[in-house]
Amino acid sequence: MMFAVAIVAVLIALALAVARTLMGPTAFDRLLAANNIGTSAIMLLALFGFMTKRPEFLDIGITYVLLNMIGTLAVLKFFRYGALGHAQNVKRDGDDF
Amino acid sequence: MLAAVVDILSWAALLGGSFFYVVGAIGLHRMPDVFTRMHAVSVSESLGLGLLVFGMVLQAGFTLIAVKLIIIMVVLMWTGSAATHALARAALHDGERPLLQDESGRLVKTDVVSLFPELQHRLAAPLVSEAVEGEVPAPHPQPGEQQA
Repeated sequence: MMFAVAIVAVLIALALAVARTLMGPTAFDRLLAANNIGTSAIMLLALFGFMTKRPEFLDIGITYVLLNMIGTLAVLKFFRYGALGHAQNVKRDGDDF
Repeated sequence: MLAAVVDILSWAALLGGSFFYVVGAIGLHRMPDVFTRMHAVSVSESLGLGLLVFGMVLQAGFTLIAVKLIIIMVVLMWTGSAATHALARAALHDGERPLLQDESGRLVKTDVVSLFPELQHRLAAPLVSEAVEGEVPAPHPQPGEQQA
């Protein structure tokens, strides 16, 4: 019962974050909201596992946490350096690779 | 007796966590610019998340499940703060200007460098979006190096 209440709250938060992802004027708003969606999905998994008395869902949650971390760091590296590779591999003018 | 106390504590933690989670999401939806939205999200990602996990840990007791929950919480809090820091930095680099009050109390988009001139050498680092098309910038600008 109490897990159902928390699940409803997380679902409301998820809906608002999805709305911000669709509306967000800048890419940073979208990124922030997407990160929040990932967190909400993990909490949803954990709470759903507890509600159905099958906390094995937590393993999926841990996997999702690690994927979320790598995804966020990849996007932020892209914003910082303009490429995901090593900085020397950024395309220069006149290079053809 | 003890089980009832633990149940009530767990209830309270889950309800409080739900409250803060929804508050953070409302802030994410309604705040005016990206920096204030980050501030709102940090409510749900610290207090909301922490209380929800605490409630679930109380339900799980001393089991492997509690350990997994705490791993999830620690990793999420670590990456959440790191990602928010890097996001704010990237937004400033990209020319995003925070909404601040001026002398007459109006909210205006303020250039941060005008307030903190010592930030000049950091924020003048080459914009990322230019890196692919134009000249390749040095990845780590040295402190004190002036941007042309």
